[in-house]
Amino acid sequence: MNPAEIRITAEPIDTGRCKFVVSEPVHAGGARRFASPDEASGSPLAEAIFALPGADVAEVIVSGNLVTVVKRSPVPWQTVGKAVGEAIRAALAGAGPAVVPKPAAAATPGTDDDALYERVADLFESQVNPMVARHGGRVELIDVQDAVVMVRMAGGCQGCGMADVTLRQGIEAMLQQHVPDVKGVVDITDHAAGSNPYFAAAKK
Amino acid sequence: MLRPSTHRLLLLLPTATYRTAAFVEAARRLGVGLTVASERPSTFQHANPGGLVTLDLSDPDRAAAQARAFAREHPLQGVVGVDDDTAVVAAAIAGALGLRGNDVAAARAARDKHEQRTSLAAAGVAVPHFRLVRVDEDPRRLAAGVPYPCVLKPLRLAASRGVIRADTPEGFVAAFERVKRILEQAGCEKRDEASVEWHAYRSILVEDFVPGREVALEGLLVAGELRVLALFDKPDPLDGPYFEETIYVTPSRLPADEQRAVAACAERAAAALGLREGPVHAELRVNGSGPWLIELAARPIGGQCSGALRFEIRETGKGKEETLSLEEIVIRHALGMNLPALEREPQASGVMMIPVPGAGVLREVRGLDQARGQPLVEEIIITAHPGQELVPWPEGARYPGFIFARGRTPEAVEAALRAAHRQLQFVIASD
Repeated sequence: MNPAEIRITAEPIDTGRCKFVVSEPVHAGGARRFASPDEASGSPLAEAIFALPGADVAEVIVSGNLVTVVKRSPVPWQTVGKAVGEAIRAALAGAGPAVVPKPAAAATPGTDDDALYERVADLFESQVNPMVARHGGRVELIDVQDAVVMVRMAGGCQGCGMADVTLRQGIEAMLQQHVPDVKGVVDITDHAAGSNPYFAAAKK
Repeated sequence: MLRPSTHRLLLLLPTATYRTAAFVEAARRLGVGLTVASERPSTFQHANPGGLVTLDLSDPDRAAAQARAFAREHPLQGVVGVDDDTAVVAAAIAGALGLRGNDVAAARAARDKHEQRTSLAAAGVAVPHFRLVRVDEDPRRLAAGVPYPCVLKPLRLAASRGVIRADTPEGFVAAFERVKRILEQAGCEKRDEASVEWHAYRSILVEDFVPGREVALEGLLVAGELRVLALFDKPDPLDGPYFEETIYVTPSRLPADEQRAVAACAERAAAALGLREGPVHAELRVNGSGPWLIELAARPIGGQCSGALRFEIRETGKGKEETLSLEEIVIRHALGMNLPALEREPQASGVMMIPVPGAGVLREVRGLDQARGQPLVEEIIITAHPGQELVPWPEGARYPGFIFARGRTPEAVEAALRAAHRQLQFVIASD
């Protein structure tokens, strides 16, 4: 793959989080979340992003053609983003996979992501999705890693002005009530691509 | 996940606001319990009855009664509105529940341009000469009696929607008819609301055009004292005929004495309206006569523009710095949390509200990578979605997106915003 042909669009969510939409698949085997340099070991892309000087990266989530980076540093995404883009291009140009599949032993001792996945999937199927369906929305469970749930919103939820309320006051609150072992929820939706949001915003 | 907290905030979020993500994220960072109130029910309301509630945001008294009933089961320690209308609702709820906030009368006076002008003029605050006319009056007769240039304004519409400058009697008549149509349309948009104050849609404020440089002041009122959080220059001249905003850059390049005069004018205006607590966003013009108060709102800056503001807390002796967003400051104040001395970050910062490029349906936005690659540009958010109808000012009130930049000087930031904007191409289907 010629790195020069890879197109990457940075979509900052806030000063700490940014999604990078890549024109090529980065990781086809579901989602992978890396919460430390140790967890990134063996996956060249995640290793490179954690190693970026001055960024103080806290988390890297890779799913399909999306790479989500969470950093603690106040360095602007305009600076960090270029380095992340270079890391993505270099990893995709490498001989091996940019991200290796999650090893069975990678789960944190004492947690069982597979069991959590089943419980979260049941909750989504039986309660969450019937609720968001009333607004033409859908919430897809991408993965559970280290007890953190990764979701992607679609339909009326994708790009909706109230998507954060749905995520935090709806989905997260339900998870806290019904699957209290879940430690967090990460939204990996490309909201900018939403073409039919249920609520659209206007100034003030 | 949600953290337990002794503080619970009632956040009034209309479903059409841009402010959702910033406020929800700020509440999370502060670890406060959050109840989101909207005018339409969330599909999760039954699943999270303490975290979501439906209030009649069009009727402050009714909303206050609903909030009082809600608070019996879910005690609230603070309330925040995010726009002009919910600032009034927040005041009503604060009064009903004994929370920190403004008097309803003060919030109402800030929302209504005629009430505001009347109160400010009576208090001796410099405002343009104005008069109120009805939409059923004869515009030709009115045109003969106003000085030119003048500006016609709806009383309640946001984002300068329906604001038009007229330089001649013929221009006045055309502007009058156009504002009237915009008000009819806006009234139609409110037809489902039970308690619309219809006079606001049947009146037009006509005032002198005040030449000069325009600035925006972002502040926080604490027990009636104004803390200036930021002063933005608006480097693009807002001379009309329409008043769509573009660039805000801070710190201001006005001389220090003029900045002090601007702050003093805004503080006098807030006091004249009776505002004492919470965020204020004031727009002023500065010319040889000093600062003129154009508008003061009892809410924080609109759109996604607050992303241009970051504040630093320095804990003396600990060598520790913490960065706060504007929304975190607003929430801390509403809940009575510790509010240390705040300084805006040392860098210059700016935001461009991307002008509506034309009327039609948005198909795609090109040039984003090139725009994001411009030096000093930190972020570009396209809020218009593919398929959305773009409506130019004065009928429109939605920007298609926002560009943010930070740099060493305001000049560099302004140049970066313009450079990024030049890279963007909005593909619009006009049929």
